[in-house]
Amino acid sequence: MVMIRAIIRPEKTDAVLEALMEAGFPAVTKTNVVGRGKQRGIKIGEVVYDELPKEMIFTVVKEQDKDYVIKTIMQAARTGDRGSYGDGKIFVSPVEEVYTISSGIKETTEKLEEVAL
Amino acid sequence: MKEVLAIIRMNMMNKTKQALSDAGISSFTARECVGRGKGIVDYSILKGAEKGYDEAISQLGMSHPLVPKRWLSIVVPDKLVSKTVETIIKTNQMGKAGDGKIFILPVMEAYRIRTAEQGDQVLDEA
Repeated sequence: MVMIRAIIRPEKTDAVLEALMEAGFPAVTKTNVVGRGKQRGIKIGEVVYDELPKEMIFTVVKEQDKDYVIKTIMQAARTGDRGSYGDGKIFVSPVEEVYTISSGIKETTEKLEEVAL
Repeated sequence: MKEVLAIIRMNMMNKTKQALSDAGISSFTARECVGRGKGIVDYSILKGAEKGYDEAISQLGMSHPLVPKRWLSIVVPDKLVSKTVETIIKTNQMGKAGDGKIFILPVMEAYRIRTAEQGDQVLDEA
């Protein structure tokens, strides 16, 4: 399993969530974040804004679905044909175990099992 | 060491905090987040409501695009992972959809900023 964390423009959130729903990956979590990128924020006149508001959406998927999900997010989150600065980043990190609290089912890359409490 | 990332119901927060500290796991970070699970949200309703169809507007309240949740991030040594997971599941399990998920992620290093110590000694031990 892998966790995909995407930091995207706030105005693109709805488009990305809709694209993920249509692609068959409904489960996501979203929080507000602020940050800056390689361009060191935006300079407007004399003022530099280096805490730009973004949305972080994160989802955990199986390894074989990783590329498809990343492609879906990228297509939906781009502005313009070739994208532009500030469209965001996608990070992928490994997840070893997943538990569903309601059923107590433990998922790993190899198998499913029930947790005895 | 591992990071236990749990997404739980908002109203379970106090109970979970109590249960974790009773189990000897005192340190964690929490934040608010919103999310959705396996439930399918019908985006055509939202689109129809934007265009002003009465039928779509009447159905607006029935589906919930994103639900508020609490995000807990707990970094624990390897031997405490199962105890943490069991505590969270036991406290939060109502047996209904929406109880949440727990993810276990590997963490490479941990430091205590105050003393610049490194490794498992900066984490909880029980």
